[in-house]
Amino acid sequence: MDFNLPGEDDPRRREIRAWLEANPSPTYRQLAERGWTAPNWPAPWGLSAGPELVVMLDEELERAGIRHPHQLNAIALNQCGQSLLTWGTEEQRQRFLPPALACEERWCMLFSEPSGGSDLGNLRTTARRVGDDYVINGQKIWNSHADISQIGVIIVRTDSAVPKHKGLSVFILDMKTPGVTVRPIVDMSGEVNEYNEVFLEDVRVPAAHRLGQEGDGWRIVVEQLQTERQGMTMPGAVWGSGPTARELLDGLIRTGRIKNPLIRDDAAKLFIEGELLRLLTYRHLSNKINGKPAGVEGNLGKMIASPHGQRLSDLAKRSQGAAGMVKNRDVLPLPDKHYGLFDNWDYAYWFSPAATLGVGTQEILKNTVAERILGLPRDLDPTAATPFNQINRPQVAPARLAAER
Amino acid sequence: MNFTLSDDHLELRDAAQTFLDKEVDLRPLLVPGATATDAGYDTLWRKIAELGWPSLIVPETYGGLGMSYIDLAMVVGEMGRTLAPCPFFGTLAGTWAILRAGSEDQRARLLGRVAGGEAKLALALTSMDGAIGESVAATADGSNHRLTGTAWYVVDAAAADQIVVAARLDGRLKFFVVEAKAAGVAIALLDWRDITRQVGTVTLTGALGELLTGSDDQTWPWVRDRLYLTLAAESAAGTRVVLDDAVTYAKERMAFGRPLGAFQAIKHQLAELAGQAECATAAVHYAAWALTEDDARAPLAAAMAQSYASDAYRDATYRNVQVFGAIGFTWEMKNHLYYKRARCNAELLGPPAQQREEVIQLLERQAA
Ligand SMILES: Cc1cc2nc3c(=O)[nH]c(=O)nc-3n(C[C@H](O)[C@H](O)[C@H](O)COP(=O)(O)OP(=O)(O)OC[C@H]3O[C@@H](n4cnc5c(N)ncnc54)[C@H](O)[C@@H]3O)c2cc1C
Repeated sequence: MDFNLPGEDDPRRREIRAWLEANPSPTYRQLAERGWTAPNWPAPWGLSAGPELVVMLDEELERAGIRHPHQLNAIALNQCGQSLLTWGTEEQRQRFLPPALACEERWCMLFSEPSGGSDLGNLRTTARRVGDDYVINGQKIWNSHADISQIGVIIVRTDSAVPKHKGLSVFILDMKTPGVTVRPIVDMSGEVNEYNEVFLEDVRVPAAHRLGQEGDGWRIVVEQLQTERQGMTMPGAVWGSGPTARELLDGLIRTGRIKNPLIRDDAAKLFIEGELLRLLTYRHLSNKINGKPAGVEGNLGKMIASPHGQRLSDLAKRSQGAAGMVKNRDVLPLPDKHYGLFDNWDYAYWFSPAATLGVGTQEILKNTVAERILGLPRDLDPTAATPFNQINRPQVAPARLAAER
Repeated sequence: MNFTLSDDHLELRDAAQTFLDKEVDLRPLLVPGATATDAGYDTLWRKIAELGWPSLIVPETYGGLGMSYIDLAMVVGEMGRTLAPCPFFGTLAGTWAILRAGSEDQRARLLGRVAGGEAKLALALTSMDGAIGESVAATADGSNHRLTGTAWYVVDAAAADQIVVAARLDGRLKFFVVEAKAAGVAIALLDWRDITRQVGTVTLTGALGELLTGSDDQTWPWVRDRLYLTLAAESAAGTRVVLDDAVTYAKERMAFGRPLGAFQAIKHQLAELAGQAECATAAVHYAAWALTEDDARAPLAAAMAQSYASDAYRDATYRNVQVFGAIGFTWEMKNHLYYKRARCNAELLGPPAQQREEVIQLLERQAA
């Protein structure tokens, strides 16, 4: 056991730093050519990097003031891209991975629908085979960054005559395809929009862009969601990124607010939880490199990390009182390293309700931990075994749409 | 960087597990009025001494095994998992005090006997209110010292051959060794709620004390960090076992035509505990590593582990009883043994909020 992270004098670190000093504002394509945008992927895309190298690259990019590629193009680099390595064809990899790794094409995830995000298997959007193409019709919703993405990973129903989880397929969709309409939705933070709704009308996608076989869709997205959850276990206030408990404590100590007996003990609790989350994340990395089976940290980690982030930004607010209620006028200092939105506690706080919704709600996550890790019985789904086209139940429109009418 | 346990550590843990699963029997405690003595408190110790566990942390120069804190955490974790009633905690505590505050001669003489399984120790620390070294006063008597006062909540006091006593000498905190059988030493058992331990008071009336000559301001913090690790290792392992027991029960017990564990109100609680159990274990491994490496972060890591694992164990034992229903609230089930161990572990060296205060103070000092 060795809890030391690679030091300042590590030759690998020195090499990275030297290159970044010689190339002070590299393009992401340059970084991708070095395998630095997805270092943990195998060659030729990445370096099959172990945890130490991954950590050092993260730290050195941060030090050089370069926004992490896995933050900038998260859906491609953290969530969906990797499944092209296992489920994709060589042609798909050659077409889609280089621009994704270079952050020249950003990706979005087209999973949730008005029919429900938790019960994703209930989705209504269909794809019908027509010659060498499929024709997609339906609607997606809550899709982060769909408005600025070139590529969408979309799950649709290709067979309605089988039970709901069986007839699903995944496609890689060029967002410029005719028939795709993206409409931003303003979220409650009121900031630059996070998510969108996406309408699909007779959208033709080549059969060659189907990931895996028809019917593999459910397995593929479950895998992608697990990978995504793994990435969200770091102790940042917002899905693993954003301000941390260390930074909160630092701000509270520097402003003297730590002396407030009404926040002091809570601050200590959050600090400790943040440190332990960090340990869980590193231990997961460490397990991976040792060839041991991936630990339970991914699911567990997000289950702990999301409410941790909410409490963290809540304490940052509480420590400021009414002064913290003025938009973007935090009096609690934060180092300038979170690249825009999460540079202040204010946005972290008003965004934080989303942390226990996106990428699996807290309730769904607890189900997953209880069922997959503890082996407790699964929730009942009376519709699970019935062919999808025979599930006949009244449509409940989401409240938002109902209000519009 | 390698956050996983080595095969050697896992082997040690497995060996401890096999031994304790065979030797520890808590059933005699499930009768009202039973005490640790009824569950092999003395007999188990003899077997443990044969395995050499008393010498785990004694350096090789004094005849011990000189093993690391990570090794220790493996063994202590298993003892916590099984609630093994035996005077291990007291002996560890006394050993650390002597190791830190004893002269070369004192360490060789006193710890040699511990390593050989010939002596058991205890550490007498607190006043009735939990203040360290406040309730016993030492006075010089020629080249000797005399101790007077009462120390409370002394774990394994009645079993100990020697008791290390924290006392004030000229206003400073010093550590002394007292022979348990000497004149002026009276030991009384307390009706301690956790009946898997034996806890008592030590009353000294002019008892002869041998000053540990290296006692200084750092003795207690140094020993305390190690005691934090010990209790946290017990608590983390205890959290895991009461979670596992509750999960097993929730799979078997039926209500409304389904196993209890099919209901979200139950399964979500257990999922949360699984998270706490993981974090508690990580905290213990980190603290054990930091102490092993004599890393500057060790005091922080130890305080974090003790506060987090105490809270996790308390939450887990509470949920465990709730999942079992009324049967979990009976004396004849072992759920309450864990419940009480959890509660007592969280108070023995000061509450979790106190360790969190220590964490904040360490951070404040770092920032200054
Ligand atoms: C900021 C943000 C970004 C997002 N980005 C994307 C994206 O990029 N792509 C995408 O496809 N989706 C995205 N989503 C959607 C997200 O995946 C869904 O919101 C989520 O899956 C929940 O679905 P829902 O909103 O339809 O709520 P519902 O599924 O209707 O759930 C409503 C409530 O009921 C609870 N609930 C549902 N089922 C159960 C159950 N079985 N047991 C107990 N409780 C239950 C839920 O936990 C929740 O509290 C994003 C969401 C947010 C907030």
